[in-house]
Amino acid sequence: MNLLPSKYRYLPILAMVFFGVAAFTPILNEPGLQQTFAVAFLFAALALTYDLLLGFTGLLSFGHALYYAAGAYGAAYAMARWDWGIIPAGIFALFFATAIALFTGATALRVKGIAFAMVTLAFAEAGHVIAVLNMWGLSNGDQTLQLNFESVPDFFLGVNNTRNLYLLALITLILIYVAVWWLTQSSMGRVLQALRDNEERVSVLGLKPFNFKLIAFVLAGVMAAFVGVVAVIVTNNANPVMGSTQTTISLLLMVILGGIATRWGAVIGGLLYVVLSQRLTTLDTQGALSGLPDWIGGPMSEPAFILGVIFILVVMFSPGGIAGALYRLRMKFGSAVK
Amino acid sequence: MEIFITLFITGFGLGALYFLVASGLSLIYGLMGVLNFAHGAFLTAGAYATWYFTTSIRADGSLSSYAMSLLIAGLVGALFAVATEQILIKYLYDRHIDQALVTVGLGLVATSAYLGWFGTDPLIVLPPTQLYNTVQIGEAFVGVDRFLYIGVAVLVLLANFLMMRYTRIGLIIRAGVENRAMVTALGIDVRKAFTFVFFIGGFAAGLGGALATTYASGVGPTLGDAFLIYAFITVVIGGMGSVPGTAIAAVIVGTTQVLVNYYVQGLGDFVVVMLLALVLLVRPQGLLGKVAH
Repeated sequence: MNLLPSKYRYLPILAMVFFGVAAFTPILNEPGLQQTFAVAFLFAALALTYDLLLGFTGLLSFGHALYYAAGAYGAAYAMARWDWGIIPAGIFALFFATAIALFTGATALRVKGIAFAMVTLAFAEAGHVIAVLNMWGLSNGDQTLQLNFESVPDFFLGVNNTRNLYLLALITLILIYVAVWWLTQSSMGRVLQALRDNEERVSVLGLKPFNFKLIAFVLAGVMAAFVGVVAVIVTNNANPVMGSTQTTISLLLMVILGGIATRWGAVIGGLLYVVLSQRLTTLDTQGALSGLPDWIGGPMSEPAFILGVIFILVVMFSPGGIAGALYRLRMKFGSAVK
Repeated sequence: MEIFITLFITGFGLGALYFLVASGLSLIYGLMGVLNFAHGAFLTAGAYATWYFTTSIRADGSLSSYAMSLLIAGLVGALFAVATEQILIKYLYDRHIDQALVTVGLGLVATSAYLGWFGTDPLIVLPPTQLYNTVQIGEAFVGVDRFLYIGVAVLVLLANFLMMRYTRIGLIIRAGVENRAMVTALGIDVRKAFTFVFFIGGFAAGLGGALATTYASGVGPTLGDAFLIYAFITVVIGGMGSVPGTAIAAVIVGTTQVLVNYYVQGLGDFVVVMLLALVLLVRPQGLLGKVAH
């Protein structure tokens, strides 16, 4: 689905160049803001990997956070307990996540649709439990597994170097974007989209749906793990929330809000979601809700409440999210102008 | 041995709570193909209703107040469920993924609303003191409340069975689970059955919520979400759409979880998931499910 007309194709590239340059100008010079955007970039990248499953392969997974957490914990563990440098630790984390994705994916893909969603949810929950309870001393539980500062280069450490983290996160987003773009354009990507639209037809053509879906599942998982490794550097720790169902649900929200199967929709959804959750929290502290009665003001002070309501409205009334809405606007007015 | 008996019956009781949540999920899924992520929110609503009723309306701590609170919690869960069906689900029939997504959104909204209204900390609900008594079985002592959960779940299972077997609406539901298109083609309005299934599913979840406040000694915003995940596992293991299958799976999941958790802390939750993986590998349609999903 290409909702973006070709003359706008360069827009995502332009936006990323803008964000890269902005970090050196007063617009985005403040470390706090840079940190927020760095996290937003990582979530946008994560949302992209989720869109590869949901939008481009038609797999509704509720366990995607597991691979993100596996990447983060794999790297953090290798650095903290074995004193490995970031590069070998990162590579280890990717292999670790691949193994988990292969096993869980091969099991979950034995069932389809909604049952698949439940099974992935259950696997992710198992991972989450291991992290929360610090089973076998693997995760340090709620204390979080801290980044070993010896393992990363100095230019990623300290508040003064927030800009480098920001750029690292931006580069990660660009890499994931290019990888997902390349994958979805490739012949395998076309098979995946065909699977999404009509699985029977694909199998009649002699292709094995299971294999293709498993490849997509593992690739999306490995990319999520890569984002997890970077997240350890950017946020200085690996924590149980990374692997929670909450994280997967927020990815789902980002993709649906931005627009499914459009790539840039997931990016916009991710950026918007992170920035909104941060801004909406301050609604309450700024006293914007002080005039409201408690029964409505209380929930309104929870960002998840407002985001959840927007999400429901988008699913019911605007399928395709922001991307879909823009597309419909263009169909309505664009043709009239010409 | 006495520890084993205590743990086994505790696990059985937990399984009974899972059954109350999972039976509704299973029926709703079996009949309508809707995976209801808001089911945990129904449970939490019932739990908060119990808290409100037993602390603000009839705080005498008597058994009769407790019994009334169970009924009210069930009704609150049922009303919440019917409202969900009427306001959100109804307009999305045959858009299964969107239905699931809407319930995800609703679950999120409900949980954050509970958080805004009642705060993060669990509110304490004190059941009547009689429920703290223990019963001696052989050498082992088992809490009375465990038998209450099991009793309520058995009643619900029985009521469910009788309704399915001997009433017209039960017949429509059974036929609808097997082949919805055919039932519709025969001129029967399945949509009424949809609303009804949400009512009984919500009622059971609300009941489960009331009992969960006793099991967990209180209610917090995420009480239902914690139960929901294991209820999902129960539904898949039991076979979607099959209430007896759900009952068997609930007992297996509950006892396994409690027993293993006692010997290795936290491992029980993990083992249950592995059990799910095993069932899917050997029997993808679940224990008593008719068709592979």
